[in-house]
Order: sequence, then C-alpha cells, then structure tokens
Amino acid sequence: MQNAIQFLSGLLLLFVSWVSSASPINVVATTGMIGDLVHEIGQDKVKLSTLMETGVDPHLYKATHGDMRRLQQADLIFYNGLHLEGKMQSILTKMARFKPVFAVSEKLSKASLIHYGSVSDPHIWFDVSLWQQAATQVLSKLVEMDAANQGAYRANAQRYQQQLSSLHQWVQMQIEGLPKSKRVLITAHDAFGYFGRAYGMEVHGLQGISTVSEFGLHDIQQLKQLIVERKIPAVFVESSVPKKFLRALVAGVADSGHELTIGGELYSDAMGLKGTPAGTYIGMVKHNVTTIVSALKRGEAE
Amino acid sequence: MMSDIWILATACLVASSCALVGVFLVLRRQSLLGDAISHSVLLGIVLSYLMMDGRSEIAMMVGAVIMGLLTAWLAEWLQKHPLLKSDVSIGMIFTSFFALGVVLISVYAGQIDLDQECVLYGEIAFVPFDTVIWGGESMGPRAFWLALVVFLVNVSVIAVVFERYRLMAFHPVLAVALGVSVPMWHTLLMAQVSLTTVASFDAVGAILVVALLVIPASSAYLVATSLKTMLVWALGYAQLSVLLGYGLAVWLDSAIAASIAVMAGVLLLATILFQQLIQKQSQKASLASEAH
Repeated sequence: MQNAIQFLSGLLLLFVSWVSSASPINVVATTGMIGDLVHEIGQDKVKLSTLMETGVDPHLYKATHGDMRRLQQADLIFYNGLHLEGKMQSILTKMARFKPVFAVSEKLSKASLIHYGSVSDPHIWFDVSLWQQAATQVLSKLVEMDAANQGAYRANAQRYQQQLSSLHQWVQMQIEGLPKSKRVLITAHDAFGYFGRAYGMEVHGLQGISTVSEFGLHDIQQLKQLIVERKIPAVFVESSVPKKFLRALVAGVADSGHELTIGGELYSDAMGLKGTPAGTYIGMVKHNVTTIVSALKRGEAE
Repeated sequence: MMSDIWILATACLVASSCALVGVFLVLRRQSLLGDAISHSVLLGIVLSYLMMDGRSEIAMMVGAVIMGLLTAWLAEWLQKHPLLKSDVSIGMIFTSFFALGVVLISVYAGQIDLDQECVLYGEIAFVPFDTVIWGGESMGPRAFWLALVVFLVNVSVIAVVFERYRLMAFHPVLAVALGVSVPMWHTLLMAQVSLTTVASFDAVGAILVVALLVIPASSAYLVATSLKTMLVWALGYAQLSVLLGYGLAVWLDSAIAASIAVMAGVLLLATILFQQLIQKQSQKASLASEAH
C-alpha cells in the first residue's frame, strides 16, 4: 500500500514537472502584425492567440467572450500602443498592474515617432526599422518571462531580424527605383505616414488617422488638384477600409480629364488571410510595396 | 469563473437601471433618447478635448454628461413647440449635435483619433480587468461599482418621487391642474437618463444601453397592468435578457453586449407571439360557445 502511494505520488510529480516544462507560455497579441512577430520569435515555445484577426479594423473591433478568457489566461500580452487599440488600451494599461502587459511601441524614442499635437501616429509597422525595434522589445520580454527557452528565442529573433533588415533594404531599393516626381502615395486613410518618412514618399490620406473620422470637401478639392497637377497615375484602396470614397475620388478626377486608376489594394491596419502571401508581416509589406511601385511605374511607361 | 460573475453582476445592474428609467421613457414616448444621447455625447467629448487639450477621461465624462443633459432638455423644450412632435425634436437635436461634433473634429482635430467609440464606450468583456485597487487590495471592477451607484441612485429617486412620476407619465394635464411643477420633475427624469446612459456607456458600451432602455420596458408594457407591475416586469425582462444573452455569448463565442441586446429582442418577440396565440385561442373558444 505504502509503496503504491509512493509510486503514485512519484508519477504525479513527474507528470507535473512534465506539464510545466512542456506547456508553452500563453501569449496574447492584439493585432495580426504583433501576432506574426510573436510567432516568428516564439515559434513552438509559445501558445499564441491574436485578438483582431484578419481584415478587422482595430477601430471597429468588438471583444467576444472568448477574448476575455484568452486575456485572462495569458501569461504575457503584447499590444501596439499609441492609441491604436482605442479604449482597450486603457484596459490593457490597467491589466499591467497584475500581469505582464507590454506595448511593442513602448521603447521607441519620441523622436522616431510622428506626432500630431499631443498624439502620436500608431501605424509604426510600415517603417520596417521601427518594427525591428518592436521585435527587440518582444524578444526581451519573452526572454524575461521564459528564461528556460531564451536560446531558442534569441536564435529565432536573430534570424528574423536579418530577414527584416533585408526587407528594409529591399523596400528602399524599390522606392528608389521610382522617379522622384512619382513618389506620391494617396490612400484611403492616413496609415502610411511612417512608410512615407522612412522611404521618401509623399503621403496623402483621404481620411484622417482614424477611419471613423470624415473628410472635408476642402481636403478632396486639394487632393484632386494635386493629382491633376502632378499627373499622379494611381491611388490605392485599403483592405480594412471601405472603398467607395476612393472610387468617388477617381470618378471626380476623371471628370477633369486626367486618367486616374485604382492602383490596387494595400494592407494597412490588418494583414491578409492566413496562408496567403500577405498573411505574414513580411508578405504584407512586400505586397504593398510591389503594388505601389508597379501602379506608379505604369503611369511612367505611358 | 470570478470574472463571469463580475460581468454578469455589472450587466444585471446596468440592465436594471436602464429598465427602470426606460419604463418612464417608453410611457412618455421618448424611448429613443438613449440612442440620441449616444450620438450627441460626441460633441461633449470634442469640446472637452479642445478645452482641456488632451484626453483626460474624467473631463470627457463630464463633457458627455453635460451634453446628455442638454440633449434631453433641449428635446423636451422643442417638444413644446406646437408643430414639433417628440420624435422630431429628439431626432433634430442629436443629429445636429453629432454633426457639430464631426465638424469640430475635422476643423480642429482632424489628425487625432477622437470619437465616442474609442474614448467613452466601454467593453463589457473587459469589465473584470479594470479593477479598483484600494489599500493594495483589489476591490472588484470599477464598472461594477459605477453601475451599483447609478442603480442605487435610480432606485431611490424613483422610490421617493414615484407618485409625481406616475402623475407626469399618465396624467400630465391633471398634474399641472394639481399644481405639480411638471418641468422640475421632467428635468429630474432627464438628469437620471443622462447619468444612467453616460455611466453605462462607460461601463458596458453603447448598443447594450440603447437596447436595454427600450426593449425590456416595451415588453413590460405589453403585460403589465399598473406602473408598479410594469417596473417589476421590466426588471424581470432585463435580468432574463442578461442571463440568456450571456449564455448565448459563451456558447457562440460572440460579443457579449450584442448577444444580450439580441436576447432582449427575442424575449419581446416571444411575448408578442405568445399574446397573439392566447388571443386566438380565446377567440376560438368564444366562437365555439356562440355556436352552441
């Protein structure tokens, strides 16, 4: 009897230690981009859930009952910060009092951000070099939380950082391939400020930073004038923003005799479907840049 | 488990407040006031942002409550115009307030993310995460305490001035003849509406509040025989909507607030169908007895 109990408790101990060593840490990411970053660095060492899945505009995200559970069971939570998550951010900062919750934008220097008055532009992922800093932040928090697997995390992060570095250079080269006068990017909302600054493109959005705000007539007039004067061949729609406003702009410009096309769909606030090329961060950036460059070059050939 | 209880408790309190206030709104044909306030608060938020130059949550709450009161009060005032009905006056006020808010944003604050959705409206799923910490101990969610205070205020106000409210709801002319100061009690009711809606927006988001102001009170209106029983029925419908809606949200992994609002609608529909069924049966019965 005694032996049996000893044997059973020994088994139990073994089981407990096996469970605690094998069960990966639960990580929750708010956006698909951050989820991809955690996936690249954590690989099979983390169990990842992403709250805002494909195609969801972060401004319009509604939490489900399961999201509450996932946040509750998380060992580590990453969010974008800079008010991308809206009111949810104030909840996340409050959760930080009793749970490890970190903004991937936390360590970015003030000078590296684009400011509008007292508020910063949250779309940092379109400057690949800023996203590399976000990756560093994710790595350091994963290592802090789960030191046992730090070797794996560091190796994954190093490999991924190299990929990001070459992506950064690739984007630079692509944009440099465009004639200077053609480096104008017009999109549905102001998501590409960091992209423009990092790679030397002039950026104009029909809507403001938030997809909820509306645009003034004056803005449209100015935009039309700019397009006609500078003979801009294409504007771009975004996957997570309704397309009708940009279509209206194209029709309006056509009336004044200048041919303007919709150059394609860019991924801005959300990535593409899982399993498609644009379903990863790198794939999304590549898709955007290829779409932009080929549409703007098309105008060049004519 | 604990967080489910906190969410349910908060939702039940919010639902009760909304149902109680909603009864008077439904009786006075002003049930869309909640929806109106959910839009006109934008102007309050923008104004407080422009005046305080920053996103102070408390300043924006205060701005929202003031704007809610102003909406309710102006709607009441316009209604006195002989040619403007109550739906017109409510519709006019909140659309112009909302529009003015949008104009101000596009002129002064076009570059920032400022709207009621991301500044004021809470998310009921995140209620358990925003706790009050007092003396190092977690005292439960902030939204729960807010909802409790609002509920107690509503219950005590209604208990104290029940007779006045009843007179105002059913016999406004008689009330004036009896020398009851109708405008004063109107203002008190509107203050209750404004406080309840804005505080509940902050705790659980907008859809739920708008739905709970209208639907449980309407269901209760179908079955109740007096103001007192209508209040009780409204409370009952509200609690049942919360429980069934939460069950639906767990089952489907859907948005909690929307699921509760959906169940409130389903209960209203079920009540109507049930009543029609009863009516048909009694008609049949009376026809049968006539045939004999």
